Amino acid sequence: MDKIEKIDERGVWEKIADQLRSRSMWMLHYCTGCGAVELPPSMTSRFDMERLGMGPMATPRQADLFLVTGYLSTKTLRRVIYTYEKMADPKYVIGFGSCTINGGIYYDSYSTINRLDQYLPVDLYIAGCMPRPEAILNAFTKLMDMIRKGEADGWKRYNENYEWYKQNQLRSLGEVVVYDEFHE
Amino acid sequence: MQSLLLYLAIGALVGYFLSMINKRLGPIVLLALSLYGLFTLWNMPIGSVEDLFGFEDILQFTALSKYFSIITLIVFSCYAFFNIVWISKAKRPYAFSALSILTLFGTLGVFLTPHLIALYIFWEVAVVASLFIVPMGKEESKKATIWYIVISSIGSYMFLYGTFLLYSKFGTFNLFEISGDIASEGTGFKWLVSLLLLGAGVAKSGIFPLHVWLRNVHGNAPDTFSAVLSGQLVKMGSYIIALFLGAFPIATMFSQFYAGVNIFSYVLIWLGNISILIGTFMAIKQNDMKMLMAYSTVANGGYILIGLALLDQVGFAGGLFHVINHALAATMIFLSFAAVVYRTGTTKIDEMGGLIFKMPVTFVTYLVGIISIAGIPPTSGFVSKWMIFQSLISKGMFVTAMFTFVGSIGSFLYVFRPLAGVFLGQLKRKDKDVKEAPMIMLLPMIILVALTILWGVFPQQVLVWVTDVQRQFGMEPFKFDGTVLYSNLGHWDSWTVFVMFMVGFIIAAVIYILMPKGKKIPLDDQYTSGEFLHNFDLYHYATKYYAFLEREYEGHPSFEDWYTSIVNVLKAIGKGVDYLVRRTASAYTFWMALVLALLLWVRW
Amino acid sequence: MTVLKVAGIFLTAFFFGLTFEGIGRKITARVQRRYGPRWYQNFIDLFKTLSKHGYTHGWIFDFGVIMALGGIIASLGFVPVGGIVAFPGMDNFFVIVYLFTIGSLGMAMGMVGTGNPWASIGVARALTLMLGYEVPYMISIGSMLYFYRTSSISAIMSAQGGDWNLFKFPIGALVALISLQGMLGKEPFEAPIAPAEIASGPMVELSAKYMGLLMLMNTFMEFAEISLFVDLFLGGGTYFVFLLKYLVVWVLVVLISSVLPRFRIEQAVYFYWTVPIILAFVQVFMTVNGFVF
Repeated sequence: MDKIEKIDERGVWEKIADQLRSRSMWMLHYCTGCGAVELPPSMTSRFDMERLGMGPMATPRQADLFLVTGYLSTKTLRRVIYTYEKMADPKYVIGFGSCTINGGIYYDSYSTINRLDQYLPVDLYIAGCMPRPEAILNAFTKLMDMIRKGEADGWKRYNENYEWYKQNQLRSLGEVVVYDEFHE
Repeated sequence: MQSLLLYLAIGALVGYFLSMINKRLGPIVLLALSLYGLFTLWNMPIGSVEDLFGFEDILQFTALSKYFSIITLIVFSCYAFFNIVWISKAKRPYAFSALSILTLFGTLGVFLTPHLIALYIFWEVAVVASLFIVPMGKEESKKATIWYIVISSIGSYMFLYGTFLLYSKFGTFNLFEISGDIASEGTGFKWLVSLLLLGAGVAKSGIFPLHVWLRNVHGNAPDTFSAVLSGQLVKMGSYIIALFLGAFPIATMFSQFYAGVNIFSYVLIWLGNISILIGTFMAIKQNDMKMLMAYSTVANGGYILIGLALLDQVGFAGGLFHVINHALAATMIFLSFAAVVYRTGTTKIDEMGGLIFKMPVTFVTYLVGIISIAGIPPTSGFVSKWMIFQSLISKGMFVTAMFTFVGSIGSFLYVFRPLAGVFLGQLKRKDKDVKEAPMIMLLPMIILVALTILWGVFPQQVLVWVTDVQRQFGMEPFKFDGTVLYSNLGHWDSWTVFVMFMVGFIIAAVIYILMPKGKKIPLDDQYTSGEFLHNFDLYHYATKYYAFLEREYEGHPSFEDWYTSIVNVLKAIGKGVDYLVRRTASAYTFWMALVLALLLWVRW
Repeated sequence: MTVLKVAGIFLTAFFFGLTFEGIGRKITARVQRRYGPRWYQNFIDLFKTLSKHGYTHGWIFDFGVIMALGGIIASLGFVPVGGIVAFPGMDNFFVIVYLFTIGSLGMAMGMVGTGNPWASIGVARALTLMLGYEVPYMISIGSMLYFYRTSSISAIMSAQGGDWNLFKFPIGALVALISLQGMLGKEPFEAPIAPAEIASGPMVELSAKYMGLLMLMNTFMEFAEISLFVDLFLGGGTYFVFLLKYLVVWVLVVLISSVLPRFRIEQAVYFYWTVPIILAFVQVFMTVNGFVF
């Protein structure tokens, strides 16, 4: 099948902005699982993520890039979605490791989410259990390329197909009702 | 002047009876009288002399009288305007209106006469009239009244004693006649008289060690009357201080101590320093917003005292200018608090939050008020602080400068506490239906905001009044040329600063508007560390706002406790006496034993 | 002419402020044996944040951000940048110090206006820290104003000639440097913006252009504060000499901050009210009694 050439809809300003966005990605790592331990080596002197203009941020409001680092239970997925919706557009999501792709070694657990992109628009997956820092940095450069070409449009997809995502989220997680301070 | 005072005295009665027809008529009478007074005194030439009730030349309109009367009348007109609506919440509206008018009568009388006995009588009228308004406030206000009367009477009896001392020496009660001769008296007499006369000012303006009444009285008085207490009645004390420091030749009466400041002024400056320290640090730890501003009044009283006691070209002008700044700012702040209490019914900071979205104009009033209190340009509060700093630095008084810096930066801390706790942060569920205060309440607040900013950008009008006072007392007047203010350490231009401020604001606004628009989200859409919250009332940081700083001075000594323990000692002695004179068997035994012992001793 | 000078100061602060910040990040990276970002990384960060689509919590948030940047821009105009003095004689020390607080107040107000308690905690800490560093700073500068009998920054700058105040007032300079560390919010005095502890404090709810404007404000504030230090203690100098001195001070500050941990807030205040205040009074004592080298 021929690959359909995607039309670049971005204006000049958006193109320039995307150049900037690719060179300054502030990330929020949601440390759900074992992937989190791979991040310190990628930040510190061995691999030094900051030379790519990336750095950790404290809150979702400030961040551009959302790292979901490992398996997701139903309880954590709620919080992942809650956090994702607090981020400012444009925002990008990277799924870490096989857990976010197909559930990984926990695929048959009663409370594990197997495919993240049913619930959030994932721009890029990193395969591996867990991915090494080399793979992570490789993924980051790949994501930068995608942003520059305008291919990392997960946030647009989320806005366009919001109904579909919401429906999936509701089907798996149900409505979040906060009963009191300690239960939901 | 005589007619104005007569109108006020009659107005008190008229206000009382008119209030019976309609409660709102009382404040309207006060408003009319104060506007009339403002108009009369504004146009009155300085130096006019009048009789009062047949006594010759009792009333004398000096530059200082003019300055303080205008401040008083501005504060009272705003207060009266605000009360037109607020009076519906007053406990005893008839008496409240009548006593308010009587307070104005007393204070204006104080400002208009240099005759010490007349001054004392007017002073007592003002104190007694306000004394009966205070217990109309909160639950604890009856107790607060006792603080008020005790400390006020300490001040006024000192004043009376000093007056009679002077009379016995010079045979006249006219202050300006006395001031020429006093320099030749003995040192002990000079110290005694000066301390006694200034004692009244110290007690009234809440200076250490007589500062303890402010927290109780300002905090518990009726909400709008706190504005008058802090904005105006406290200034009566500043008036006494300014009057005696200016009229008496203090510089020649006492020996020089340091950098051209005489020893007596130095004592006063140290009282001011301690007041600033106490006021600032106690204000930081208050959770009741009215008590917080009461301590702020203590600190600002310290500023005024330091400025006045410097007795030089820049510092004295700064102290006088600070009087009007603090009067306006305190009135604004207390009126905005009164509006908040009118709508929510509480004064505890941590019981409120997010009111800005419900009461924006009240918020703006409070904001401008605190900008002025903290001394930030372009409000008038900066002008006076700048003058006081310049004078202190040029004299090399760095210890005092340190206290003023602490007070000035500490004021950012304490004024921010109600701002963050009451107006910003999460809106409480119980306040969801709160509305903005009525228009009549907002108008006086808007007028005060406008005045504060106007006199911050164009301080000339106030400076004319201030320099008139300096000329009257034979000091070198403060130098200014249009909006450019000069001191011996350089100059600045309030208009340039304002223009630069607007330029900066416009640049920032242009950048802001050019960039993509932000999406409006509700207050409960917050970063919560990924947690779902049940009760956003709790997601509000207002309790123990400066806990980490308060810890540092937790076990501080308290003068309030100390005075209370003196009271307890007196009570215990009283109880002992009471026990001994009661007709009980043990008392009889005691007296019998005493008489027998005496007899035996005499016989021995 | 004044307009040109003011514009010159703004542009200098913008380009060199951001550049030096980038260099500072590079230096920190090298201290930690990393490669570090490019020197123009902060320009990219700034324009990226400005290009995003953010969230606002209401008018006070918007107004606070504009007031923060506007106040800092206003005070920056009064700071002499080497030879460029926009308002000669009118650059009064106290005016500049108090103009700064408009920006700080705007920021504090806007951030607490988001309704997030972390922001309130951060602001409470920042204000407390300010109570710590401002007092010794103002006392030590005050002794200099007393010595030169003027409070105009440019007059003090030109009065030094080649004889820097750094050597005339060595203790005062030390106090000012310690205070500068707190003003810039660098380690060990960065508790107000602690990222992991209180989610970066005041900045917790900042997204997109709001973040960008506050970054710009922070840059301008740093530029003004270090410029004041350079003007007062290092004799200002011509434009490029000034920038060189600026860079030296900035590198020193960055080096100090890159090797130190963080003070708790009451420790910081306690520190400021003991060591620097005593040193400031030693300087005052020396100045008043004429021991100026």
